[in-house]
Amino acid sequence: MKKSLYETDEAIVEGIRRDDERALAHLYKLHFPMISHFILSNSGTDDEAKDIYQEGVIVFYEKIKDNSLELSCQIKTYLYSVCRRLWLKRLAEKGRYAVKLDESDSFVPVEEDTARHEEQEKQFGVMAASLEQLGEPCRSLLEDYYIKMQNMQVITDKFGYTNTDTAKNQKYKCLQRLKKIFFATYKPEV
Amino acid sequence: MLEYRAYEQIERYLNGQMPAEERAGFEALLHTDARLAEQVREHKQLLQAMQQYGQRQSLKQKLNLIHADMEAEAIPATPAGWKVFWNRHAQTVAVAASVSLLSVFGTLWSVQQLKAPVQQQTARYVELRREVERLKKTQTAIINGINDAAKPAPRPAAFSGTGFAISADGYLVTSSHVVEGADSVLIENKAGQKFKVAEVYRDQVHDLSILKIDDPAFTGFEKLPYTFKTAESDLGERVYTLGYPREDIVFGEGSLSSTSGFEGDTTAYQISIPLNPGNSGGPLLDDKGNLIGVISGKQAGQEGAAFAIKSAYLLQMIEEFPKTASVLPLTLPRHNTLAGNPRPQQLKKLKDYVFVVKVYN
Repeated sequence: MKKSLYETDEAIVEGIRRDDERALAHLYKLHFPMISHFILSNSGTDDEAKDIYQEGVIVFYEKIKDNSLELSCQIKTYLYSVCRRLWLKRLAEKGRYAVKLDESDSFVPVEEDTARHEEQEKQFGVMAASLEQLGEPCRSLLEDYYIKMQNMQVITDKFGYTNTDTAKNQKYKCLQRLKKIFFATYKPEV
Repeated sequence: MLEYRAYEQIERYLNGQMPAEERAGFEALLHTDARLAEQVREHKQLLQAMQQYGQRQSLKQKLNLIHADMEAEAIPATPAGWKVFWNRHAQTVAVAASVSLLSVFGTLWSVQQLKAPVQQQTARYVELRREVERLKKTQTAIINGINDAAKPAPRPAAFSGTGFAISADGYLVTSSHVVEGADSVLIENKAGQKFKVAEVYRDQVHDLSILKIDDPAFTGFEKLPYTFKTAESDLGERVYTLGYPREDIVFGEGSLSSTSGFEGDTTAYQISIPLNPGNSGGPLLDDKGNLIGVISGKQAGQEGAAFAIKSAYLLQMIEEFPKTASVLPLTLPRHNTLAGNPRPQQLKKLKDYVFVVKVYN
């Protein structure tokens, strides 16, 4: 990995925009120690640090992908703020109120971003549960078609349907069930 | 089957795969058919959620890969572990460390305290020569100088001790350490007689020195009132001394508390007379007026533990002296005129033969 390539924040953002995985990897490795230290010094574990940090990176990543990123500070500060916010929430959920954080860096307000992220996480959680409940082969079928964007013919072959129509029919039934399960639990907060 | 068709239609619409005409018709239908519109909205949301979920899953996978990669790079994980451990337990460790330090030093200190008296027991031997307060003397000298401008102010003595006569022809004894490093030595008794003396013999081992009066004004002492005891005195005998711990002569009385001296020194007695710097070289006498020793020192920090060289060693030195210095043997006093007298009478007779020894250097 050439470090010089992503020396500045702008270069990293540009790299992620271009779907350059090395940019993401560089960003990830660059700031993990800071967050790790923050979480660990505020009664967190290694796993929690990894978890929170990944969520923070995802928030940042999605913002770049949305083109809604207006960085008024360094990436470092932004990531710290997001992770701090997320960690506070996590601590509150764990029942540790009156948390006094051991702060080492400044932070910027990121409530909006984290709120959006949490809403998404909730949605994804419901989606994961629904897919789980759906069971095989429906789950794989839908994933292959809608997520992996595979061709109907490939799917037909893979699942051993006689023709694409049967596959389509099966897919329809599966989607119908998924829809029921998903909307039964997920109420979007709009 | 109808619904199945409808689904396909909806999907085609959402994917933008509809031809323009059909699309227009479908959109018009959406405006009128609220149920269809709702279905389209739901379908859209579901698909979006599913797709985003898929993307998120793959992104997470990517991040996990990166993380694993990063951890693999940072192979020496133990330092990090230590660091984490340290961060988490620094305070506890600090407290534990300070507690242990405190207890270690506290124990050391208290053991020291307990040992302190023992240390005193083995403490130093203090020679009782007196360092004269310079300042005070200088001041009196100046005042004297004003009163009597013609005479030069006398130089104050640096040290002083006590000495006593051993023969009528002007020999005296004092402690060696009193006259150590002396340029000139003067003696003076209670009656105010002043003589210049010189050290003529020294027994370093027993800390004794013989002085001889070296002064034209000296005509000889009268008969000495005390005799020297050759035998060892008994434990518990009443003993006393005269000395010059200050400008005036001071009497001190006690008993012979041990027949050995400092650290088992058999050449000395231990006596229970309160002594002070300046008493060194003083005579130690028993009730009958026999001279039984020469005051030499005391133990620091111990009350009532003073020491005196036994008279036997004094006599031994007096015997040796004429041989080495090739002078006539000293005529020691033979008659004790003190015996049987009450103490004040004894002292009256005695005090003229006890001198303050002033050392100048």
